[in-house]
Amino acid sequence: MTYQSYLDGEPVIITAAVTGGVHGKEANPNLPETPAEIAAAARACEAAGASIVHLHARKENGERAFSTDAFQEVTDAVRSATDNIIIQHSTGGTAAPDELRVEPLLTDPAPEMASLDMGPLNRYGKLTSENTRSLVDRLHEVMLDRNIKPELEVFNGGHLNESLRIIDDLVAPPYINLVFGGGTTTIPHPRNLCTLADTLPPGTEFNILGFGPHQLPMTTQGLLLGGHVRVGLEDNLYYRRGELATSNEQLVKRAVRIATELGRPIATPKQARSILGLK
Amino acid sequence: MTSQCPFLIYRKEHDEQSFDTARAFCTATDSFVQPMRADICNNRYGLTHTTDCEIYDAHQSTLETDVSGAETE
Repeated sequence: MTYQSYLDGEPVIITAAVTGGVHGKEANPNLPETPAEIAAAARACEAAGASIVHLHARKENGERAFSTDAFQEVTDAVRSATDNIIIQHSTGGTAAPDELRVEPLLTDPAPEMASLDMGPLNRYGKLTSENTRSLVDRLHEVMLDRNIKPELEVFNGGHLNESLRIIDDLVAPPYINLVFGGGTTTIPHPRNLCTLADTLPPGTEFNILGFGPHQLPMTTQGLLLGGHVRVGLEDNLYYRRGELATSNEQLVKRAVRIATELGRPIATPKQARSILGLK
Repeated sequence: MTSQCPFLIYRKEHDEQSFDTARAFCTATDSFVQPMRADICNNRYGLTHTTDCEIYDAHQSTLETDVSGAETE
């Protein structure tokens, strides 16, 4: 994936990260939390052009849930509400024990994709999501067993090194999500995106995730470098400075509009499966 | 130690915010709590508000101490 990929007009996969688990309705009342709300958001995002939906599960009061049962309820609701969108479960979970981190992978059917955090990530003043190599390997093993394609979450350049540790075990093509924002994530700067994109292993498909105000510029640059993009209220609560986003769909529509203007066609779920080597 | 942070309550409304289900609210910051932080407030997953919350650190001096030494608000 390079600038040539952009020039060639290769389709862009849009992932909608609709809910997350860090913030909730206290930060933006339009953020979906219940299975029904998440399903409705997924349906709207699919209609707008998203081909992957990234899911977390929550309790009724918005707090985090990691159990297979909780994910089953959400993923069933999304499957019922959508046509053909690729379902990707999160295995993230700052402070959650390793046993719980596996549970989102155990739904029936298994998700087609799941996130795989490649290393430590700091939270707040005193928390670190450790994501030890032991946990990465355990999650990856379950994904291989259940035919789940991992999206490698590269929060910073060091995590790209960590990706290389398992690159030979991945089903081609590797799919790497480059994350830009504050704290332990890569400093959001166009030069850093170019550097990371230039150092990806050959044959890698990559996605761009920018937190908050960096969602729009970093994903737009990603489009020009032949990458795929992730948008949604999990990563960004605002449409523009001082104006809360009204929905996930609104953010997907903007990504579609920009990609189209730049000459990148929007990948359908079928095309996304082909690009990512999904069965 | 208490089973949850003494600054934590659950409420449905505050100022202009209202919710169908009661949510975690921090009386130290006078604001609703992010879902991930609520796991610290509730001492879940091995987290404890006394060691893992910088907000508790900053405000614990405002907690009164009764004669038995137990923390109260």
